[in-house]
Amino acid sequence: MILLQSHSRFLLDTLLNRLQNIEKAVELDYHWAEFDDLRYHIQVTMKNLHIVLISVSLPTPPPETVFLSGLPAGAIEAIKAAYGSVVQILDPPRDGFNLTLKLNLSKLPTDEEYKHALLVKIASVREVVLGAPLRVILKQLASRTVASYIDPLVALVHRPKESFFLIPQAEKVTVVFPMRFKDSIDIVLATSFLQEFVDARRTAGLNNAPYCMWSPTPPLELKGAPDEALSVNAGFITFVILPRHVEGKKLDRTVWSLSTFHAYVSYHVKCSEGFMHTRMRRRCRILIEALDRAKPGMENARMQLNRSFKRLVCH
Amino acid sequence: MDPASRPAVVIDSGTGYTKMGFAGNVEPCYIVPTVVAVNESFLNQSRSTSKASWVAQHNAGVMADLDFFIGDEALEKSRSSSTYNLSYPISHGQVDNWDSMERFWQQCIFNYLRCDPEDHYFLLTESPLTAPESREYTGEIMFETFNVPGLYIAVNSVLALAAGYTTSKCEMTGVVVDVGDGASHVVPVAEGYVIGSSIKSVPIAGKDVTLFVQQLMRERGENVPPEDSFDVARKVKEMYCYTSSDIVKEFNKHDKEPSKYIKQWKGIKPKTGAPYTCDIGYERFLGPEVFFNPEIYSSDFSTPLPVVIDKCIQSAPIDTRRSLYKNIVLSGGSTMFKDFHRRLQRDIKKIVDARLLASEARVGGEVKSQPVEVNVVSHPIQRYAVWFGGSVLASTPEFFGACHTKAEYEEYGASICRTNPVFKGMY
Repeated sequence: MILLQSHSRFLLDTLLNRLQNIEKAVELDYHWAEFDDLRYHIQVTMKNLHIVLISVSLPTPPPETVFLSGLPAGAIEAIKAAYGSVVQILDPPRDGFNLTLKLNLSKLPTDEEYKHALLVKIASVREVVLGAPLRVILKQLASRTVASYIDPLVALVHRPKESFFLIPQAEKVTVVFPMRFKDSIDIVLATSFLQEFVDARRTAGLNNAPYCMWSPTPPLELKGAPDEALSVNAGFITFVILPRHVEGKKLDRTVWSLSTFHAYVSYHVKCSEGFMHTRMRRRCRILIEALDRAKPGMENARMQLNRSFKRLVCH
Repeated sequence: MDPASRPAVVIDSGTGYTKMGFAGNVEPCYIVPTVVAVNESFLNQSRSTSKASWVAQHNAGVMADLDFFIGDEALEKSRSSSTYNLSYPISHGQVDNWDSMERFWQQCIFNYLRCDPEDHYFLLTESPLTAPESREYTGEIMFETFNVPGLYIAVNSVLALAAGYTTSKCEMTGVVVDVGDGASHVVPVAEGYVIGSSIKSVPIAGKDVTLFVQQLMRERGENVPPEDSFDVARKVKEMYCYTSSDIVKEFNKHDKEPSKYIKQWKGIKPKTGAPYTCDIGYERFLGPEVFFNPEIYSSDFSTPLPVVIDKCIQSAPIDTRRSLYKNIVLSGGSTMFKDFHRRLQRDIKKIVDARLLASEARVGGEVKSQPVEVNVVSHPIQRYAVWFGGSVLASTPEFFGACHTKAEYEEYGASICRTNPVFKGMY
């Protein structure tokens, strides 16, 4: 698995499982969390087994982002467009959450394939809600109708109290991620990962991929941004998204990859640490073996050990 | 936001299955087989000295590092293609392949639970016989690779006791009979502390039941394809096996009414795709019988489980014995056989009563001793009782104070994992 999937695996499994065993009356009440400080809650009560309540809490937005009544701009429209009449938005949402969806299982379409697609979409509620403003801007780019009244610098939340920036223009959208990591080793690994990432973009097969670059200092585009948003420890990475990257079906994938770019980097940093540990352990084992071989009388000792062990087993 | 305000992640890795989820819930999110399918095809490439091929090999290695699967996906992949090799990171309750274990955890966290390990405290489990070194390894991986803010490594038998703790009463004294897939232990716990010297192990576990069922079916000449027979035996064990009260009576029952007791198994041959059926007969009750009469399965070990439990309690401190008999808790998937707890309770009671009678006869009937109460507790969540106990423990506010934290790890190193963090300040 190289990329993170856009649907929450557990939410999808729960919904599918629910649909299969709808006749068996079981209550359901489950809390869980996801990366970037998202929290989910799913509830089914005995009163009506066809109604599933899904609540989502989003990361705390930093001051520079626009949030309308607890949700990113355009999220409500996006939910309505994606789910239609199967899902209702409850107002006010459950205590401590930003959004509560009421899903009516009896209203799901009967066509199996379509039903499954819709459930996957519901399980990707994160993509729909958090990616909504990004989606709006990229859609405008695809149809080349970037509204001129938009603020030249748009901040979108992607992690608690952290945002990334968009600079929408008529022919391209520039996306800048300020990268921050907590651990000192992570910072080093992430920095070199991002530099390699930029290098990898230059290989022949990736000519059509979005142009990207990395710099340790804030790029010029971020001139108007508040200072605390510009204090980073792993530099800034910039992507230039052209209309051809958001055509048709590519739009969904682009939105998801951009809005979880930080999680992607952090996942790969952890993978590389694991990769290095594997090698370190192997090296350590080889060195210990070499040391053991050098010890005089080691062969004898091992023989004796074996014999005593066998005797133990026999008795 | 502080990681302590988010639910802790509870992962109980057993030999057969791993149970994982978030604290505060009743059920684990996932129960997946503890297995990793690794693509090792790149390892066998011939080594050559030219630089270009070294780079290619390096890249292949880097790609293969991400090219692995865990759980059911792993089993599926290894069946459908030959490039993946299965590796079982845990055997007999102990981690023996740390590389696969690290990968397994990585997938658990990022692909299944989809959480950022830096945001959550972790509760992991270990068997009571785990060496301190392996606990250090666990700590090293968790703190170095995943940067967890806090870690607690709990003994699984104590958690199994804690699972019962909430349902009825505050009882932290009892014997945990933990029969998993790869290891069985009888662990006496007094007031939440494991009595280490009295732990008894039984070399018979769930896997042996499966092997025995497989052997019985093969000897009777059932028509099961050999490459599938272990899997079929496992499913037969999980679906049809039950505990009998008396083997002889059970044989008679089966012989009188074969139609009622003999089940049919339908399957499809994996190679040819042809359907087949086979009968499931005596192995339905003979499988679980290996715990009560081990001599029918192995010649090395012949002490029945009830006798092992009795010996274990008899070796515990004398003032705890009565309360230990009173609370014998079952945990692990292989105690799920129907009526397993009844049979166990009956057999232990028999041993205890016999001993009481003998001692009364010895003193000549002058002293009447109080009868010993024997109670085998079984509850519906037995299969993941350990996980549930962990979930209960990790949802208390005291849990976060009892964890090893990242700061302590950086200050003292992996050796902090040797001791229980409850005794902080002793290292």
